[in-house]
Amino acid sequence: MSALAYFGGVTVATVLGLGIAMLLRPGFAHAVLQSAGLESIPISDGLSFYAVRVQPLFDAHCISCHGAAREKGGLRLDSFAGTMRGGKHGAVIAAGKAQHSELFTRITLPATDDKAMPPSGKTPMNTDDVTVIRLWIAAGASGTLPVGAIKGAPRLVTPVKMPEINPIAVRKLRAPLAGQVAELQNRLPGVIAYDSRSSADLILDASLKREAFGDADLRLLAPLRARIVEANLSFTAVTDASAPQIAAMTALRTLRLADTKTSDATIRTLASLKALRVLAVANASSATLTALREKGVRVYGDVNGE
Amino acid sequence: MANDLREHTPHVQVWDAPTRLFHWAIVILVFVSWLSVDQGFMTVHLCSGLALLALLVFRIGWGLIGSTTARFRDFLHPPRTVLAYLRNGAGMYAGHNPAGGLMVIALILVLLAQAVTGLFANDGLHFSGPLALLVGDDASTRLTAVHSTIFNVILLLVWSHVVAVGFYLFVKGHNLVKAMVTGKKPHAHVPAEARITFTRSYIALLLLLLVLTAGAVAWFTIQGGAFL
Repeated sequence: MSALAYFGGVTVATVLGLGIAMLLRPGFAHAVLQSAGLESIPISDGLSFYAVRVQPLFDAHCISCHGAAREKGGLRLDSFAGTMRGGKHGAVIAAGKAQHSELFTRITLPATDDKAMPPSGKTPMNTDDVTVIRLWIAAGASGTLPVGAIKGAPRLVTPVKMPEINPIAVRKLRAPLAGQVAELQNRLPGVIAYDSRSSADLILDASLKREAFGDADLRLLAPLRARIVEANLSFTAVTDASAPQIAAMTALRTLRLADTKTSDATIRTLASLKALRVLAVANASSATLTALREKGVRVYGDVNGE
Repeated sequence: MANDLREHTPHVQVWDAPTRLFHWAIVILVFVSWLSVDQGFMTVHLCSGLALLALLVFRIGWGLIGSTTARFRDFLHPPRTVLAYLRNGAGMYAGHNPAGGLMVIALILVLLAQAVTGLFANDGLHFSGPLALLVGDDASTRLTAVHSTIFNVILLLVWSHVVAVGFYLFVKGHNLVKAMVTGKKPHAHVPAEARITFTRSYIALLLLLLVLTAGAVAWFTIQGGAFL
């Protein structure tokens, strides 16, 4: 046999082999045909029911096994094209027929069934999720049907995900002032709190103490002042004597000074606070407030009689 | 004397038994590995992968101390020689020709990479490779993706290998498959000056035992050192 004849035979055999593989593995066939431009790639619209309601469910429950990192069963559910292409055993969606769709069958099997999806150990889909997928398939498994076009879908509930907190790191972050914060929280109950679960920044709110909170109390908080990012001193008895204390709160972003005994003199000292973004005051001069506004501070409150 | 032998025996032994057994065991294990993962038999997949790894380590050892035609130095050639061979097919070799030698190295390296990444892989469900816990979930998932990609490279290499073997059979009239089964090649396909020294098979057995023992020690150490 000549080399030419042999390699001709190899080419034919390879093409035949690929053809058989494509017949046996429809998912592979679609991938090959789409890569070769012989089959259009299904695309979903960004505001379609699929994109808004269905894909997020696949993202949450399926793509860890049926995505870019892992393609179990040759199936990818991280895109509309992948979903419609199906897996190595063929399509998993039968448009218009939820009960005949492999994907729907799998997500509705009892958790004890070996073929149930997601498999045991993974977060299962709830009834609303299953309903969304059933309605989408029943409506034709479209990638373009607008989100509002399918009636009867359960209301979209965006899950709230709390960021994970490393308690050891938080404790380490708060450690330098933790003792003083605890002590002052005891002495001035309800006045000092941490900005968030993971932060060492502090919020000072003395407004509920009203006249019972004055300059002397604010002086007590001096050790913490560099950590105070929000201070509400409205309705308290603080006076201009507290101006240096307030001006030393270098991390301060929000300050409320309405109905206090402070004057324009205190407001003028705030110009040195580079982090300050919001200020609520009463009886300040328009010139002082204008100067602060020019520095990017949003100012709320009355302007005195100028 | 050598000429007498050539006249009276139509074939000459070129491959030792360990090399041939290794070759066909690899063929079976690659097929079993593919089939088992395709059908979801992950325990079988693990066993075939570990067996493959052990055999590859054995083959590397056998490439250093084995019979002449099994040794790397017998079939490892500079790229220039490989290219020249691919271009004109000149020269006669008792064992692997330069292109075949390159294929052996490529297959050993790729299969080794496949077996090693498999140790760290997971199927996202209930199965993890024996070393997956050492690298964490993210790295394990990345290595699983590498493991899947390498399989495509293996397919490509196997296809090339089969095409090349077919070329020798149908175009050049050399039945390399039969030679890899019987260990013998026709005299006409072996250079007259070839001198093949065969390492005794019990050495191969000892080498395999050494590999398996090292593997067992590593396995039990990783599993918690219960036997130590």
